Amino acid sequence: MELDKLQNQVGEWLSGKGPESDIVISSRIRLARNVSGHSFLSRANLKDRSRLEQVIRDRLMGPEVSTEVSYFSLPDLSSVDRQFLVERHLISREHALGKGPRGVAMSPRENLSVMINEEDHLRIQGLHSGLQLRDTWEELNRLDTYLEETIDFAFDSQFGYLTICPTNAGTGMRASVMLHLPALVMTGQIEKVFQAVSKINLAVRGLYGEGTKASGDFYQISNQQTLGKSEGEIIRNVESVIPQIVKFERTVRETLLENKREVIEDKVWRAYGMLRSARIINSEETMDLLSVVRLGVNLGLIPGLRIQTINELFILSQPAHLQKMEQSELGSTERDITRATFIRNRLRVKDGQSES
Amino acid sequence: MQCEVCQDAVATVHLTDVSNNMKKEIHLCEGCAKKRGTTIKSHMNKEPNYPEFKTAQLAAAEFTESGGGEETDLVCPTCGISYSKFRSTGKFGCPEDYKIFGQHVVQLLEKIHHKVQHSGKTPRSGSTEVPEKPESMEMERQETEDESLIKQADGLREELRVAIEDEQYEKAAELRDTIYGIEGRIGGQKKASQKK
Repeated sequence: MELDKLQNQVGEWLSGKGPESDIVISSRIRLARNVSGHSFLSRANLKDRSRLEQVIRDRLMGPEVSTEVSYFSLPDLSSVDRQFLVERHLISREHALGKGPRGVAMSPRENLSVMINEEDHLRIQGLHSGLQLRDTWEELNRLDTYLEETIDFAFDSQFGYLTICPTNAGTGMRASVMLHLPALVMTGQIEKVFQAVSKINLAVRGLYGEGTKASGDFYQISNQQTLGKSEGEIIRNVESVIPQIVKFERTVRETLLENKREVIEDKVWRAYGMLRSARIINSEETMDLLSVVRLGVNLGLIPGLRIQTINELFILSQPAHLQKMEQSELGSTERDITRATFIRNRLRVKDGQSES
Repeated sequence: MQCEVCQDAVATVHLTDVSNNMKKEIHLCEGCAKKRGTTIKSHMNKEPNYPEFKTAQLAAAEFTESGGGEETDLVCPTCGISYSKFRSTGKFGCPEDYKIFGQHVVQLLEKIHHKVQHSGKTPRSGSTEVPEKPESMEMERQETEDESLIKQADGLREELRVAIEDEQYEKAAELRDTIYGIEGRIGGQKKASQKK
């Protein structure tokens, strides 16, 4: 598949379906794997990297694979295209900026992707909408097992899957759940979540924005420990905290609606109004406004607007997506203008459809 | 520097925000940072979005803290990486390193994961275990008594740090005395060999 075709679709994980999807945006699991008999990438030369890419790619694109797999070799892509893949959560920023032979394979609906020669030889990722860690794991596990049929992964009976960083050894698994927690942020209670989660040895971090700013009120909860716990235990551990956080966010939303209905309605409609009226808008403001609108949709304050429309806008309004849409590189002001126009159109069309 | 939001308190939280490829510095006081839903962790400023990075950096930092540089450096015969190089980067050179660096790796994994035995999926093909290299075992055995004492002391110092953090002062005092005892024995071998 051509990369350009991707821009007319979004990954299944943005569909806004799946359990708890008003608050749980997506479930993601990744496995770190390395091919035995090869150095890790810290010591691999160009030839090693090429060979690794070849071997893994051949397996992923093999005739046994029933679905259509797309493969992109990153050195062949422009920087905008690489950024485009980052924005879709198909590759990491590090992979985009990396050097040498490396690539990414993905399934048609973007639920599965494999980064080749990122930090480890393979980073296999499964991504689904809503709270679906178990299903995500089952699918990912099948892919991992398929790869293992012909590729020997570096493994040790004591240390498990061997990874370049000791922080990933063992299962090589990072399971994370992305949550949208605007009400907890608004009421200053998000710290409580951080505290509760870190007590059971899980990590919380903001999704968007570099550093500590959690643009759009998105937070990711993931396991830190990868050795000594089985995949199932890790998943159960991450899953165990989600219902409480979801309930906490819902309770705060209800309380806000009961006690400060006008204030919330005002916030939501102003945000919606801004997005539908702005002529120039930057990424950060977009994220923040979309977050409030998303909350409004979930509270039933904006009838007819679908959650999927908002979920998609978070991804589609990012710089590389806009530039691909316009088919040219844009300066930051041009992008802000393009972004405003794009958002206005999307919201107008969707709104019109729903009312008719 | 004053907080950019309230213009009142001193800014102690400094954020770098990159959007539209534009880098923007934001300076906030702790209160305003919290209001913005910002977690205050100074080491997060430079880190990328991907979770594994923070842990890797932390581990690398923990690494550099513990241990003196006097140990004989272990070098992996397969990939040529030395233990000290691994310690400074936090990255192994090849799968063999896990065995070559032996006890160091076990201690490190214990620190990071609190466990040292894998549980979970094993490859179906089975034969992918890192072969036990006889050379590496020899290297382990050649380790001097001093080295093992230093390692032991390092491990205890870590426990001591934890004990102090947890305010378990009695335990901390015991650990401190044990460490002194061990440190007193370091160099004993050298003295003995000098006598010869």
